Amino acid sequence: MLKLIRNTAQCSLAAALVAAPALAQDAYVIGVSAALTGPVAGTYAPVIDAVRAYLEHVNARGGINGKPVRLLVQDDGAQPSKAASNAKQLIAQDKVLILLNTSLSSTYAPMVAEAKRANVPLYFAGSVCPKETFPPADPLQFCSTAFGATLDSQAALGFVKAQTSEPVRIGFAAMAIPVSRGEIDYAEGLSKSLGMTPVDKQITPPPTPDYTPFATKLKDARPNWVWSWAPWVSQVRTFEALRRLGWDGRYITWAHLNAEEELARIKDAKFYVIGTNAFLDDNLPIHAEIRAVAHRANLSHPVSYLTEGYVVGLVLEQVLRNTPWPPTPQKTLAAMNRLKVDLKGLRGGPLEWTKDNHFRTRQYYRVWHWDGGKNAVVRVQDWKALDVR
Amino acid sequence: MQLAVNIVVLASIYALICCGYVLIYRVSRVLSLAHGELMMLGAYGLYATASLFSGQPLAAIVAAALLALLVGILVYAALMWRMTGESVLAAVLATIALGILLRGAMILVFGTQTQYPLRDLGWENVSIALAGGARISAVGLALVLCAVAAYGSLFAFLRATRWGIRMRAAGQNPLLAAQRGIRLHVVYALAWGLATFTGGMAGMLIASDAGLEGTLVIIGLKAFPAALVGGLDSLAGALAGALVVATAEVLMIHYVDPLLSDVVPFFVLLAMLVVRPWGLFGSREELDRV
Repeated sequence: MLKLIRNTAQCSLAAALVAAPALAQDAYVIGVSAALTGPVAGTYAPVIDAVRAYLEHVNARGGINGKPVRLLVQDDGAQPSKAASNAKQLIAQDKVLILLNTSLSSTYAPMVAEAKRANVPLYFAGSVCPKETFPPADPLQFCSTAFGATLDSQAALGFVKAQTSEPVRIGFAAMAIPVSRGEIDYAEGLSKSLGMTPVDKQITPPPTPDYTPFATKLKDARPNWVWSWAPWVSQVRTFEALRRLGWDGRYITWAHLNAEEELARIKDAKFYVIGTNAFLDDNLPIHAEIRAVAHRANLSHPVSYLTEGYVVGLVLEQVLRNTPWPPTPQKTLAAMNRLKVDLKGLRGGPLEWTKDNHFRTRQYYRVWHWDGGKNAVVRVQDWKALDVR
Repeated sequence: MQLAVNIVVLASIYALICCGYVLIYRVSRVLSLAHGELMMLGAYGLYATASLFSGQPLAAIVAAALLALLVGILVYAALMWRMTGESVLAAVLATIALGILLRGAMILVFGTQTQYPLRDLGWENVSIALAGGARISAVGLALVLCAVAAYGSLFAFLRATRWGIRMRAAGQNPLLAAQRGIRLHVVYALAWGLATFTGGMAGMLIASDAGLEGTLVIIGLKAFPAALVGGLDSLAGALAGALVVATAEVLMIHYVDPLLSDVVPFFVLLAMLVVRPWGLFGSREELDRV
């Protein structure tokens, strides 16, 4: 009897292994390695939840080119070793067409290596765009994430200059991670070329139990503006510590997923956020769709957190629509190299990838702050475009 | 003056966290590497009770504190009790497994979104002006007062109460203590309860100041060098270690380079290990035994 059960189990397993690739061939298969657990999960999990919900919505409408889309999500906990094994499994076993990275930059190197070995496109979706996606782009690396190194500082400091009539004494706040430090170092140099006086630069470790010692030094340098480009926790805690120390200057920072909700929590008219994703407050038709999709998928995150993931969903849909059946990573790559996606107002314009530019050809920025008089988050600057060369 | 305030607040954070490491180690010789997670669980406890006791912030805080105490006792009863007789290393590994389990469970139950327990309690973290132009946040002040109260109560408890004396006896010589009729499991459970209570308080206060998110676990580990500098089996040492590490960190941020703030606790620790490996107030023989 025991032998019979064992044999049956072995046969079932063998049948399942044979059936798996057959099932995969009936669908567009996309693989994801994401930081769904661990200390940074709050930044990445909403992106993947939104992508999953959007693709379920696409499948419910009949799929793409008559075929369903399968999203295979693996958690890497922001650990490079796990990301490497996820990439290996998704490429070798699941035969994915595109590999998505939604995790910390420390996971990039192993995933890039695996993607290159198998010649599968690697799409950074919600994670920091590596410089290889900017012109001249690496043939396999793509990115749609809202923030972009150097461009964000150009836009932010441009706003500061436009808003200020008196001499600008600017302070900087970053987190002790390479990408944030690199951007703030760039901004410091840029501020000088724009005629501003950089007065101090504070770099906080990730995480820190108390931001006050950092804010104290920043405040003592007497800046009238501070620019911070870092994970949200570092940006906002430095600001709050500055305020509690009695600093009265203006603070501009990057609009992460939770910016809209956080502006309403902080309620400070001199706290500005700059970003490239439209706020839900715009009430565009696409926002109604996001709300409906999120409701159907029963997502736990606030709807305002889902824009970034929805952009990824729109991009994937367009890429796969341009990938003729039967799909291969090479056909997908060709589709990604000539992509133009209408983001339906979620950003200032379409997202366009070319053979040399896998970031986007144009980046659009808006700035918001809290208006106490209106008791609402209001726009201070409408879409302002920067060409990406 | 502001620098002094910053040092005192940071030292209070470290002291409150270290308390848990020291209590458990002193009594059972087990190093709890789940302390950061238990601290975070305490903070989530406050988040949960804040919505449960809506409009009654004091009741929510008391309930969360008692919950933390209970969780510590339950951890001992459900897991650490079974490690009795096993090697210390096995017990330490069990705490690592517990930490991983708790981290996963907290994400499943509470999600990944940042929470603000103080806002849920209906309070604001106002800024309070002090002499000399310095300022302290309301939560910062609460941290200092809680650290003082926790250490004051623990010193009194360990020196002047029957259970405190039993706890010290169990820590010094468990075999002899057991032969004298001290119920070791009850003492150990109490130590775990008190450690989780103080760690939970630290978690609640840090979350009230900076929001509640996954990084709180790492803050729990950042306080570990302070416990080692002071001497892992000494409460007074934990206090001194916290003050030394916090002073070095704040001064380094202000006068040298903020980037060094992350490494300076470990630099102090290394220096201490070279000069006095058992810490400022630790027991030499205990460390030799490890």
